[in-house]
Amino acid sequence: MFEILEHTADIGFRARGRTLAELFETSALALVSIAIETDDVSPRAEYPLAASGHDRESLLVNWLSEVLYAIDGARFALRRCRVAEISETRVSGTGAGEPRDPARHRAKLVVKGVTYHQLRIVESPDGWSADVFLDI
Amino acid sequence: MPREIRLEAIDPLRHRIRRDESLGMRTDVVVYASQAILDQIRKDLSLEQAMNVATLPGIVGPSLAMPDIHQGYGFPIGGVAATDLSTGVVSPGGVGFDINCGVRLVRTSLAEAEVRPRMRDLINQVFRDVPCGTGGSGFVKIDEKQLDEVLERGARWMVENGYGEERDAEFAEAGGALDDADPACVSARAKQRGRPQLGTLGSGNHFLEVQYVEQIHDQPAARAFGLAAGQIVVLIHSGSRGLGHQVCTDYLAEMNGAMRRYNITLPDRQLACTPISSPEGQNYLAAMRAAANFAWANRQGILHFLRGAFRRIFGEATRLDLVYDVCHNIAKHERYEIDGQKRDVLVHRKGATRAFPPGHLEIPEAYRGVGQPVLIPGSMGTASWVLTGADGAMRETFGSVCHGAGRLLSRTAARKGRDARQVQKQLEEQGILVKSETRDGILEEIPEAYKDVDEVIDVVHRAGLARKVARLRPMGVIKG
Repeated sequence: MFEILEHTADIGFRARGRTLAELFETSALALVSIAIETDDVSPRAEYPLAASGHDRESLLVNWLSEVLYAIDGARFALRRCRVAEISETRVSGTGAGEPRDPARHRAKLVVKGVTYHQLRIVESPDGWSADVFLDI
Repeated sequence: MPREIRLEAIDPLRHRIRRDESLGMRTDVVVYASQAILDQIRKDLSLEQAMNVATLPGIVGPSLAMPDIHQGYGFPIGGVAATDLSTGVVSPGGVGFDINCGVRLVRTSLAEAEVRPRMRDLINQVFRDVPCGTGGSGFVKIDEKQLDEVLERGARWMVENGYGEERDAEFAEAGGALDDADPACVSARAKQRGRPQLGTLGSGNHFLEVQYVEQIHDQPAARAFGLAAGQIVVLIHSGSRGLGHQVCTDYLAEMNGAMRRYNITLPDRQLACTPISSPEGQNYLAAMRAAANFAWANRQGILHFLRGAFRRIFGEATRLDLVYDVCHNIAKHERYEIDGQKRDVLVHRKGATRAFPPGHLEIPEAYRGVGQPVLIPGSMGTASWVLTGADGAMRETFGSVCHGAGRLLSRTAARKGRDARQVQKQLEEQGILVKSETRDGILEEIPEAYKDVDEVIDVVHRAGLARKVARLRPMGVIKG
């Protein structure tokens, strides 16, 4: 579950998850759905995702940068995302989707990068939430 | 909400935030703005961000905010900061994800009266021939070895390989390529992300606009730039595409990890930096220059396809000549006189344009008598400006001025309650055709989302940083 956050020049999202792993999964999907149309993505192939960081914040930024590279560099459209393992400094998992087809997976916004601007990861009794801003 | 920030008026156009050591500031912030613009600036976090920039180790002179300043990430957009070349830092955030995002202005041999009746044909042709590249790739096919050559030689490589005319590279800032670019410092990922995108426009605020010269404010300068009232010109706004974005991502991650080793702590991690002299700093700068060269090559490719489109509609004899090409997002080694001493500094321009005055040796000879052309795009319904650099910029702002109108509304706020077709129709009634790859592309860039570009230009003109040369009115807009 995620919602869009406002920024004068860019765009952000607030993602939620019951666990840290779920937070990372939801954040990945939030980023993908800002960048491309995902309705027509078939989860027929897998794409490995892994990132490291020196704390939780850099771990999330580096993870989302991996997801962004999958979309814009490897040109793989993700529909689902699963975190297999996560610690304070490492995360790995897979994205399910297919190679990007410009006709079926139309670009919505070209996301340039994932920023630390007002980045916030919060743990509460209900679970986890994260605010992330993207440069577009 | 932004915190309460005390601004002192130096004069009606210059405002100072005094250095506050308790916040780690090493210098003052100076803001160039009219009262009306200042009231708008105060609504977001841009002044706070300019104060954060003032904490960068080795910053020389004040942290500067141009009248188009708005909230960015780390650095404000419309911010300028110079750091000492031997003792200062380099911050990838001070350049941004879109390294060498910039604009180039192309003058044509056509007049408004002959183009206006065929605008729809022209816009459709340009839309077909100049790829936005948001969904796939562009028309320039290069292998890995050729990409390395592009990264080293920028626009010059494009001209030598059939994507331009002889004089094109000369009329770009730095001749369309920075020296000391090292493709080996650019990651394989950055190369893979960028290679298919060479010669594509991109999305967001990137655009290609067919315009006419509406007013001339400085006849000798306009003549030197080859501009006359009623002439058709084209403004191209694009950057280094995925290649530059990935270079920034890579080095931001590296510097965030390395900062502790250099005992640097900052109020915002997006400002991550290391000493210029450090291996991380040197590698970033070599990669940044390579990405900047990719951006010049990219805009050169766009010009090449644009020429084809114009000639298909108006005949092979149609001339399209580059007036100039400037970068908005860059860090450059330059020399300035500060307190009577010549100093070598790294000028970070984040959403700011170089504006060298008449006589400067880095200006093409044909323009040296009048100053460097400064190209300022406005929003798609208003106007764009051509200025020339003035002496004030050398004295006060490290040879820099604003880069655009500056955003006022967020993208979501711009979309709210508006319909793309309605906006398109309204613009058409004003004589402006818009063609966009995405519906949101039109809504997010509506004129109301930006500050009044004329007022922004007035500030830099009256402050003596640059002088007005010509006002350009849009007739057709292509967007990603």
